[in-house]
Amino acid sequence: MSAAMDTPLLQARGVARRYAMRQGLLGRAVEIRAVDGITLTVERGRTLGLVGESGSGKSTAGRLALGFETPDDGDVLFNGEAVPRPRTLAWRQMRARMQMIYQDPLGALDRRLQVADQVREPLDIHRLGDAKDRDAMARALLQSVGLRADQGERYPHELSGGQRQRAVIARALATKPDLLVCDEPVSALDVSIQAQVINLLVDIQQELGLGMLFISHDLKVVRQVSHRVAVMYLGRIIEEGDADLLLASPAHPYTEALVSASPAPGRRARPRIILSGYPPNPAARPAGCAFHPRCHAVQARCRVESPVLLPLPDGRLAACHVAHDQAGHPKAVH
Amino acid sequence: MVRFLLLRFGRAALTVGLVVTFAFVVLRLSGDPALLIMSIDAPPEAIAAFRKAWGLDDPIWLQYLRYFSAIAQGELGQSMRDGRPAIQLVAERIPATLALTLPALALKLGIGIPAGIYAALHRDSLMDRVVMVTAVAGFTVPSFVLGLVLVLVFSVQLGWLPSGGHDSWRHAILPVATLGIGGAAILARFTRSAMLEVLGQSYIRTASAKGVPWAAVVRGHALPNAAIPTVTIVGFMVGSLIAGAVVVESVFSWPGVGRLLVVAVANRDLAVVQCILLLVAITMVTSNLIVDLLYGVLDPRLRGGARAGGH
Amino acid sequence: MADITSAGPLAPAATRPTPRRRQGVPLLVWFGIVWIALIILIAVTADWITPYRFTANDLRNRLSPPFHPLHWLGTDELGRDVLSRLIVSIRISLMVAFGATLISASLGTLMGFLAAHFRGWVEQVVLMLADFQAAMPFLILALSVLAFFGNALPLFIGLMGLYGWERYARISRGLAISAGAQGYAGAVRQIGASPARVYLRHILPNIASTLIVSMTLTFPEVILLESGLSFLGLGVQPPMTSLGNMVGYGREYLTRAPWIMLAPACTIVLTTLAVSLVGDWLRDRLDPTLR
Repeated sequence: MSAAMDTPLLQARGVARRYAMRQGLLGRAVEIRAVDGITLTVERGRTLGLVGESGSGKSTAGRLALGFETPDDGDVLFNGEAVPRPRTLAWRQMRARMQMIYQDPLGALDRRLQVADQVREPLDIHRLGDAKDRDAMARALLQSVGLRADQGERYPHELSGGQRQRAVIARALATKPDLLVCDEPVSALDVSIQAQVINLLVDIQQELGLGMLFISHDLKVVRQVSHRVAVMYLGRIIEEGDADLLLASPAHPYTEALVSASPAPGRRARPRIILSGYPPNPAARPAGCAFHPRCHAVQARCRVESPVLLPLPDGRLAACHVAHDQAGHPKAVH
Repeated sequence: MVRFLLLRFGRAALTVGLVVTFAFVVLRLSGDPALLIMSIDAPPEAIAAFRKAWGLDDPIWLQYLRYFSAIAQGELGQSMRDGRPAIQLVAERIPATLALTLPALALKLGIGIPAGIYAALHRDSLMDRVVMVTAVAGFTVPSFVLGLVLVLVFSVQLGWLPSGGHDSWRHAILPVATLGIGGAAILARFTRSAMLEVLGQSYIRTASAKGVPWAAVVRGHALPNAAIPTVTIVGFMVGSLIAGAVVVESVFSWPGVGRLLVVAVANRDLAVVQCILLLVAITMVTSNLIVDLLYGVLDPRLRGGARAGGH
Repeated sequence: MADITSAGPLAPAATRPTPRRRQGVPLLVWFGIVWIALIILIAVTADWITPYRFTANDLRNRLSPPFHPLHWLGTDELGRDVLSRLIVSIRISLMVAFGATLISASLGTLMGFLAAHFRGWVEQVVLMLADFQAAMPFLILALSVLAFFGNALPLFIGLMGLYGWERYARISRGLAISAGAQGYAGAVRQIGASPARVYLRHILPNIASTLIVSMTLTFPEVILLESGLSFLGLGVQPPMTSLGNMVGYGREYLTRAPWIMLAPACTIVLTTLAVSLVGDWLRDRLDPTLR
């Protein structure tokens, strides 16, 4: 792992993933582009937030980043090297370097094994440390996420949701990974517990200098953890940039709508933008800009020409004709 | 719909193909067919001639293809015992078997389905209990035990009915009863639980809450929906019209296909066994096909979807 | 009655849940447990508790009825003690049924895991074989194999071991796929666990209770199948004896000595009944989703 420091930790380049889906039992197969050519970079010690509603392809993007699935187009590089095919030995060995936190901690834990045994498991699999020390290592890991030793002796269903998620985090940290992918890690938790788990993740990320890909539909949560944010809509990234900048002054109307629906403290609430129309359906992708049927700033051009993700003067990337027009002709409009 | 039909026919053909393959594999694995079919003390020249005639020295895939095409042309070999074509031997026995299984099927349907529906509609009544107890007995008492007990009571003790043979319709009473009672019990239990499941659904409660008369709810909603799982089991019973009486025919010395099969197995009369195997496969597959098509009629949701086998 | 040719796809339906009280163990289930314990005890201790060797003839007391001072359950045509034969038969029949159930559960689970692991054409082949197995009456397949291969006891057990494998295959495939897609198995695989670890340490313990329940539900069918084949003279062969074998032999003496047939017949019925009752109850307690 002696990759040069300027190589990004994780790089997805033009990654696409398509599925064939049958519409009804007798219909013909329709190709669904779950992820439609996205480029992402996760830097060491930084967190990239990936935002989108359900069906936007953000979870698939996470699975591609971890190498659970092989992209149909493009490639994924980890430390500058291609991620091996899933379920090969090389892929299994690479698991020690990249880990995942799931939405449903109860589902991610084996209900027939004590929590401490499950935290110990990655150590056994990757033969880390002496076999006799591993129990102590597991206890230390549990402690580092705020679980007591006696809680480690319990079974998953005997713990609360927050405690289970802590256990999952402890298990993910056991191999000291470089990359942590969190897929909606707190959305199944009580609101009162969410903040604790988020704080834990932020602390861990800073302490261990992890690169983190944080996938969520919840801007409020993403804002707390991310250095950069990328917004997905129907399999494509429509805006990406510095978290503070992007969330304070969104350029894309979709981001704008998301931000307006999630008021942040200390900031004057903007008028709420209500998205009209139906939520996106990957099986029926609109022509032109995929967002145009729901967009409040839609123009004739948006219906026919698909916008490209291009940098704006302030450095962020956006895929929107209107945003680029405004940036190009600052005095025009209104 | 065309796709659905093609899929079903394809699967049926595949199953028959698998049975033929099964027969071929078993035949080849069991030893040298030349030695199995010729007598042990046949002269070596005769065995060599046999091998040549049957192409036993050819590569296995060629033998497999030849076997397949022979069966496709209806060449099923001769019985070792009297040298007659196996297919003729089997065909002769079919009427006798149907003489048992058809009345038994009528008995199963005629008793089983009404009893099951009645029990479900009058849950926990005396009749329900009787149906359930009989149904459990129907599952746990093997047919040969029931048959022998019936013989013991009605032939040996009471002397009312003959215990075996097939000279008159009176000879058929005990075997038909043996086949019918057990099947009726199983069908009753199955119908009952299918009905109960349907009656517990919210659309039944909605219909009766809307004020639809109960009889109309049962006729209009419950029965058609409960029919779907019941059709599967009835289809299986129809499919076993040929093969379903192996044990009972043996108990009552009834000269049907089942009895022929048992004797053929005991004598290692391979051609006959193979012929019956194929016959059973074709009946089974045909009735499965009909059930699948009926499913399509009864439940549009299942059209084209995989029918859960064995449920 | 339960025609063994139709026992295959019929059985899950035939043993569907019946309404029962929640609390405590019902009386009938107690009967089942006690009977099963008794039968197992008899099978294990058969060598010590048989009054005579099961092949020993007592020519002075041929065809003696039950409650004879020397032969509690009477003797047969050759003066062999029915009780001793019954005890040995119980042992053989249970051995065949246990062996067959274990083989079928292991084979089926393995096939299900293979299908779940490799998906693609492996899965299609497994599902096709399972469909085929469920569509053909097992008795007929078994008879054909016996016709071709003859019936040595190990072969016979192996053949019985093919009975019902498709049920375990369907169960284990379904549960393994769902555990792998979203659940604990996917999470463990993600940690880097080998397939052996995922399936043996995680999935198998998690689905064991479902498999055991389904074994209990299949067991009576295996007993019925074995006794049916042996009754036809095509299963366990003399001088060995089994429950079905005894019934088949006793049938010849139905008029003169019905006890030869009745003793094993009652044992078969009570055993299948007991196992079914316990199986149904276990299913309702442990795994109501299974049908």
